[in-house]
Amino acid sequence: MNPSPFSASSTGTGSRPVTITRAGESQWLAHDDGFELGRGDVSRRPDGRLFVSIDSWQVEVFDRLAAAMLAELPRPLHAVVHEADPDTKAAWERAGFTVARREAEYALPTDPRVTGLDAVLPPSDVRVVPLGRAQEGPLRTLDQAVRAEVEAGLGWAAMPAEVLPRPEGVTVVDPSRYAVAEADGRYVGLVRVVPRRRQARIGLVAVLAAYQRRGIARALLADVLGALHRSGVEVAGAEVDESNSPALRLFQSLGAQRRSGLLELVRS
Amino acid sequence: MPKTSNGIEIEGIVTECLRNANFTVELQNGHKVLAHISGKIRKNYIKILPQDRVLVELSPYDLTRGRILYRYRT
Repeated sequence: MNPSPFSASSTGTGSRPVTITRAGESQWLAHDDGFELGRGDVSRRPDGRLFVSIDSWQVEVFDRLAAAMLAELPRPLHAVVHEADPDTKAAWERAGFTVARREAEYALPTDPRVTGLDAVLPPSDVRVVPLGRAQEGPLRTLDQAVRAEVEAGLGWAAMPAEVLPRPEGVTVVDPSRYAVAEADGRYVGLVRVVPRRRQARIGLVAVLAAYQRRGIARALLADVLGALHRSGVEVAGAEVDESNSPALRLFQSLGAQRRSGLLELVRS
Repeated sequence: MPKTSNGIEIEGIVTECLRNANFTVELQNGHKVLAHISGKIRKNYIKILPQDRVLVELSPYDLTRGRILYRYRT
């Protein structure tokens, strides 16, 4: 809570003194005589990582906010920028951040005639439980098993995710949003769908390691994308870590088009 | 100490997603602005699509530009 004054001289402000103030545990403000010029924010992801953001109309204010936040926050710190936003990326790089991972956003067609999924069936010993019909208990068990496998391998931090407030420890918020694959008396794979009105999102595709490379993910997507198409949804969005080659191959084989990408930056 | 933004905040509808991470937003008053996503929304991976209802903070230096602060649930 120690205000630190400096002068901002960028476009539109002249050379007025600006003060940086920590306004709480998670927010910093840049202000000039009560007029807010920018704000910084920090929040902790469910995986424990700290993510920072800064919004300012002036480069100098951004830099001062970044300096103030970095001086008070523990490392490592993370930030997210759009790949087509070189100004913000450069601003974080001036603060010592570097690109840690790249995430691509894909548009998946849902029409089976385009995806080629109309004739795709699961393996003979696997049954697909359609979207909205999964049982909650076994679904939660599978979700926990998937997350444990991810943490033991790639790490959940590398998984794209829309971060929304939810009770601690709750990962399956709405069981009706899942289609699952069942084999050997248990659920072994899942797809989570966010059925937004204009464009659905594929939130998560996961198959237990022991059941991978058998076409289960493709069969799950066939069910989900087919259901979306029948309900009038033409395109579904999906995010993929660009180092996840199997996921990239799967989506690209279905005719997915890369639309844009995000960069995750880190300051160690 | 200021607690909130002093900028002009106004609701609008996203009419177009542009390739350069910007959006065209039609405001309640009928004006159209070029808006980018706030760092806080970007940090939380919240996606913005055409027809989304959003809260936009207009730039005090250029009222044709803005920053999307919030996406309302549809």
